[in-house]
Amino acid sequence: MELLYIPLILALASTMLGKMLSNKWIWSGISLIAGFTLVLNLHCSHNFILSESIVDIPWLGDNIRFNLKVDGLTWLLLLLTNGLIPFIIASQSEDKVSKITPLIFLMQVGLNGVFMAFDGLLFYIFWELAMIPIYFITLIHSERERFKTTIRFFIYTFVGSLAMLASLIYLYGKTDYSSFSYDNLFAVNLNYAESIWVGSGFLLAFLIKIPVFPFHLWQPNTYVWAPSQGSMLLSGIMLKMGLYGLIRWYLLLVPESIDFYQPIVICLAVIGIVYGALIAIRQDDMKRIIAYSSLSHVGLITAGILTLSIDGLNGAGLQMLVHGVNVVGLFWGIGLIERTYKSRDLNDLGGIASKSKWFTIGFFLFVIGSVAAPLSNGFPGEFMLLKSLFNYNTTMVVFAGLTVILCAVYMLRLFQFSMLGEGKNESNKDMCISVNLELILFLILSITVILIGVFPQNLIDIINPSMDQILKELLNVKGVLS
Amino acid sequence: MIGVSIIFMGGILTLFLGLNKPEQWSKNTSALLLLLASASSWFEYKGILNFDLLFKWVPQQMLDISGTTEWMSALLLFLGFMIMNIMPSNDKKGADIPALMLFSLSGGILLMGAEHFVMLFLGLEILSIPLFVLAGSNKDNLNSNEAALKYFIMGAFSTAILLLGTAFIYGGTGTLNLNEIQLKLSFASHFGEFPILLKAGLILVSVGLLFKVSAVPFHFWSPDVYEGSPNRIAVFMAVIVKISGFYTLGNIFNSFAPMSAWSEQWILPILGITILGGNIMAIGQSKVKRMLAYSSISHAGYLLLFILIPFEENINVLATYSFSYGLGTISLFYLMDQYSREDKEFSMYTALFSKNKLHGFLLIIATLSIAGVPSTIGFIAKYQLFSSAFAYNQSAVLIALVGSAISIAYYFKPFKYAFDNSGFEKTDNSERFELNLNSVYLLILIVITVIIGIFPTILEYLL
Repeated sequence: MELLYIPLILALASTMLGKMLSNKWIWSGISLIAGFTLVLNLHCSHNFILSESIVDIPWLGDNIRFNLKVDGLTWLLLLLTNGLIPFIIASQSEDKVSKITPLIFLMQVGLNGVFMAFDGLLFYIFWELAMIPIYFITLIHSERERFKTTIRFFIYTFVGSLAMLASLIYLYGKTDYSSFSYDNLFAVNLNYAESIWVGSGFLLAFLIKIPVFPFHLWQPNTYVWAPSQGSMLLSGIMLKMGLYGLIRWYLLLVPESIDFYQPIVICLAVIGIVYGALIAIRQDDMKRIIAYSSLSHVGLITAGILTLSIDGLNGAGLQMLVHGVNVVGLFWGIGLIERTYKSRDLNDLGGIASKSKWFTIGFFLFVIGSVAAPLSNGFPGEFMLLKSLFNYNTTMVVFAGLTVILCAVYMLRLFQFSMLGEGKNESNKDMCISVNLELILFLILSITVILIGVFPQNLIDIINPSMDQILKELLNVKGVLS
Repeated sequence: MIGVSIIFMGGILTLFLGLNKPEQWSKNTSALLLLLASASSWFEYKGILNFDLLFKWVPQQMLDISGTTEWMSALLLFLGFMIMNIMPSNDKKGADIPALMLFSLSGGILLMGAEHFVMLFLGLEILSIPLFVLAGSNKDNLNSNEAALKYFIMGAFSTAILLLGTAFIYGGTGTLNLNEIQLKLSFASHFGEFPILLKAGLILVSVGLLFKVSAVPFHFWSPDVYEGSPNRIAVFMAVIVKISGFYTLGNIFNSFAPMSAWSEQWILPILGITILGGNIMAIGQSKVKRMLAYSSISHAGYLLLFILIPFEENINVLATYSFSYGLGTISLFYLMDQYSREDKEFSMYTALFSKNKLHGFLLIIATLSIAGVPSTIGFIAKYQLFSSAFAYNQSAVLIALVGSAISIAYYFKPFKYAFDNSGFEKTDNSERFELNLNSVYLLILIVITVIIGIFPTILEYLL
């Protein structure tokens, strides 16, 4: 509960005091301390399997309850959200602080709510609540094509959400006690035809949010034109809502439709992996490269989830965290480059490595994390995902495995053209990224790439119990996977 | 019952005040009376105050303003109070306009409480005739005159159709009392088919009322009339007439409930084209006021869902939806009125957020609410409506969901300009927040919209 109202208070405080306290370090510091304390506090009081609720009060009538629970998967995502948001606040340029910070805090409320909600309608409400601040961040601060990009983004996601709402209402009508609580929705048994329709509603919402291949049309432009903070929030944290929803709300609530949708979604995800990677190779805009690489990476996570194996789910859980860290680091680095050199076009850049050594080291760590080199954070998760996909279908893994090679191609191209060689633009050739508090935070975040890469088991221990529980419930209660 | 008594007397009082007091007097008096009437109606509904004496004046089989009707009348009066206070009066001289608005409101309440077709006709006329005058109250404006004439002719036609339907119903059942009709129909339903006269009667009566609430095949007057009439009157029509019209439609269809299987067949297509038509036509509009007119048509479509579900059990749903629709519409019309320029296009909102923070927040909250995005009352209302209708007719709810998705495309258009600061230079007094009565009303609008959205339990205390 604290995770919801403390960011809300911070959002109100930063709106009111925005003019006076326009120092980003204050807000970043408060948010860092508050976020970590609260999330670690949750850790102390709960084992990593679902137990009793943190809060359970009636919200709209007696049937719709304000019900929050935490398990390992949720805990990891809460750690990701509340851990990354201080860094995202710290990455702003000073002149925009009073405008973006309140919206970021407001978004934190929504994101924390989505991951903890265990009531259908509450989940939907937080899902939408997380979308409103990001809509305004992108609308107000985007570089160009503001309205066109954001309205497309909003309509896409809103259509998905409404489809999910229809599915939720349908399930609600089928429950014994007319209740939206997760347990009652879980107990509903659908016949095959119903489950296809209900499942399509959930899948549409989640696949648009993730995004998986044919539903990704909103994504590249939104990522590219949004301010760095918007891109970080969208790709680092927000798309995890879709992946989380896929595991918690689609797999468990409509398992009857898995047989039908499993091959389709895995196929689309694998197409997305190759498609995203191939497009990324040809781009010159650094943000656009990351946008398409993100499409490729989350495709692999989606495919891993749908294999319904313990390796796939654990790998997906780990990779959600890792992708969040990497993509936030990369967008942050690009933001820094853009602020210093006034450009993020690969044709304009070059030779940054010789001027700003510390920055280059940090950026390189994020690049190898993204490439999934061994001992970097991307490796264990990607390995587990590919292994699960191999057990599911060998042909698929041949295509999905291309991601390892293609990702190295475009990420190293990105690094090489921007960092190495000589500066191509005469006007900004001699500038360098100054060493200040922001760069130190950037380096701290980049060290986690190695830390997670060397000790992945600690994180897997956290998610494994809840993923195990999810698989057991699928197997025992619903008889899927038998 | 107390509400309608107060404002009817109040209307006459306001007229007399206008004889020798300045215009501001009559406006303030009528606003105060509206608040008083609204509060006392609500207290009567809650059983805190008791005005049983008033009931003895009216025969029960004609008019019954108690229970939820009482609550709805309190709501209607509250919304009327907001309109009276917030919307600036552009008309020069004045007691007649506030007085006519009060008369029209009392007609709306009589319409909602009608238990008899004669009373229903009387209420509808008391509601409409002042509006014909009000629509043309901006006498120097050609559009306003056109609106008045158009509204009058359309209104006269729809009333005539309604009367014809009433006559048919009398022919079919031998009574005009809604309760007796329900009783007779439930007997008749055991003997197979209903007579064609009755069916025709129900269709004609519905058509008459659907004209008033501007459902799609009967909507052609509404954008023109809204555009022509003064803003204060346009929002009055969009809110008061629509809410009372739908409550009455619900009341009538409740009496004709035994025929519901048959009436659903033609309500459903009307609902579909109203939602889709209203939303799709709104996208293309370049003038804000016409967009709002089409948006109110699409909301008429959502409210038609209410006709498909049992009336008595779901009366709270209609109450909540009317409340949220009223608040959102008043806010958006107010902003449109404040920034309206010659061309009345969306660019009027340019740099709104930098010009006035309060108006900016009002725009955001009202838009999110009327589009049905969570954390606002609009979502609670839409959710309740859709989920209760889902049990009876799933395809209609799916159409409504599609409509909500389409509506984003035009509701969010003002945001394009509101955050666009190009060509806007900050002056010193542009951003100062002034705490005057008007900004207090705007704050009330914002707070109600958000607080009920976050804590919907409050509705249970209100209702």
